[in-house]
Amino acid sequence: MVSVIVLIFSFWILLKLSSGMVWDWNGWSVIEPQSYPPCEANRFLEFTCSTAWIGMIETIKIAILATFFGMILSLPMGLLSSRNLFPQYITYPSRAVVSACRSLPSLIWAIIFVILVGLGPKAGIMAMTIYTVGYLGKMQYEAIEGMNSAPLEAANAMGLTKAEVSLWVVIPETANHLIAQMIFMFEYNVRSGTVIGIVGAGGIGYYINLYLKFLQYDKVAAYLLIIFLVVMLIDLVSIYLRSFFTDESENTKPSWTGVFLPQNFEKATPSK
Amino acid sequence: MPEAVRISNLEVGFQSHTLLSIEDFHVNPGEVLAITGPSGIGKTSLLKTIAGLLKPISGTVQVCGATIPQRPERGSIGYIPQKLGLVRHSSVWANVMLGSRAGNPRSTSREHAMNAIEAMGLGEKKNEPIKRLSGGQQRRVATARTLAQRPRLILADEFLSELDEETSERVVNSVLNYVRSNEAAMILVEHDVSRAREISDRLLIIDDGRLNPFITDTSVMEV
Repeated sequence: MVSVIVLIFSFWILLKLSSGMVWDWNGWSVIEPQSYPPCEANRFLEFTCSTAWIGMIETIKIAILATFFGMILSLPMGLLSSRNLFPQYITYPSRAVVSACRSLPSLIWAIIFVILVGLGPKAGIMAMTIYTVGYLGKMQYEAIEGMNSAPLEAANAMGLTKAEVSLWVVIPETANHLIAQMIFMFEYNVRSGTVIGIVGAGGIGYYINLYLKFLQYDKVAAYLLIIFLVVMLIDLVSIYLRSFFTDESENTKPSWTGVFLPQNFEKATPSK
Repeated sequence: MPEAVRISNLEVGFQSHTLLSIEDFHVNPGEVLAITGPSGIGKTSLLKTIAGLLKPISGTVQVCGATIPQRPERGSIGYIPQKLGLVRHSSVWANVMLGSRAGNPRSTSREHAMNAIEAMGLGEKKNEPIKRLSGGQQRRVATARTLAQRPRLILADEFLSELDEETSERVVNSVLNYVRSNEAAMILVEHDVSRAREISDRLLIIDDGRLNPFITDTSVMEV
């Protein structure tokens, strides 16, 4: 928490130094509505017509879709890569695919998909989906390989098929890990989604790139500050959500203050 | 009727490290065989080998007419591991249905699962997740899962520990009743010799002797 305060303070000082008074700073024009198309929102929601809002929402949408599609594709890959479920002649090729997806950063995947399908969020979704498969697939097969072997032994002795074992034993038994990993991946995708826009794959990165080219660094700084705040907020919400998906979650249900404040700020009474 | 289990010249262990050697051994349908002996001697490994989960170093194991590594018919083996092997985040019903689906056609699987849950006195806990149950209740769920499966061979690894006397009797009666009435066979590993003798038709004591740390066929003796 102290580090977060220091970081915000540093940004503040940086802004003051670079552009005089903070509230008169020209960078904040990025949260003003665009002149075209005309903004139809009411006075209090005018910021929803700003480039910062539009870009950030697009980035979050890209992250949601990439995480969703990535999860759908990575789960079978994670299962097929688990050595406690499948023989080596299946796990090795499957792991090779997962590694290949992970070997290039999402930015490079974004460049490839921009070339293949053109500029825009579609390329961003595809790039981040591929990277999600690589990253999430690895986390999933490691979680599956770390699961208790007794349920697998009982199910295998019964003669259940691999699909049945996966569906009725492995997925329920590792569900907490899988959900927590998915939330983490969403958080990760929001962060990397801000970068892929720079190569034209949609999101707030597009505007950053645009204003960098026009040498309007005050606006770029404002976008970066907004990204920082949004990512920090998503991080905190993600910590809160992930804490529900642990084996101890029933006894140690977290509270919002526990996420936003250091532990000694919080009263020692459990919320349940 | 063919034997439920036949073992010939079996060496059980990990890689080339032999834990247990058995020259000849069989279990008939309708028979309950108890195995007892000190810890770490290979009792669990023997059960796992019979269940087809552990590859034997040498020798042959025939289970319900199939020679391992060939698998017997689906649902033929009901295995209750020492750690029970329940899916902790799933409900009692989901766990019992797992066994029932393995051993019964779709049309009767629900009925068999319900009967097994009632027989174990878990009707009220049907929708509870396993992690909220006590150790004894979890043992009853594992037993219900195996009974719902209606296997031809039950392999149980210390499945009566953590049960109070009354519950233990209920579980034993249900299982023995199933074994007798369905001509199924049962092999159970049990530390408590007097209890093992009480439940089983035949008791097998595995003793490692004094000097040799590994088991030889001569130290497997029937009582």
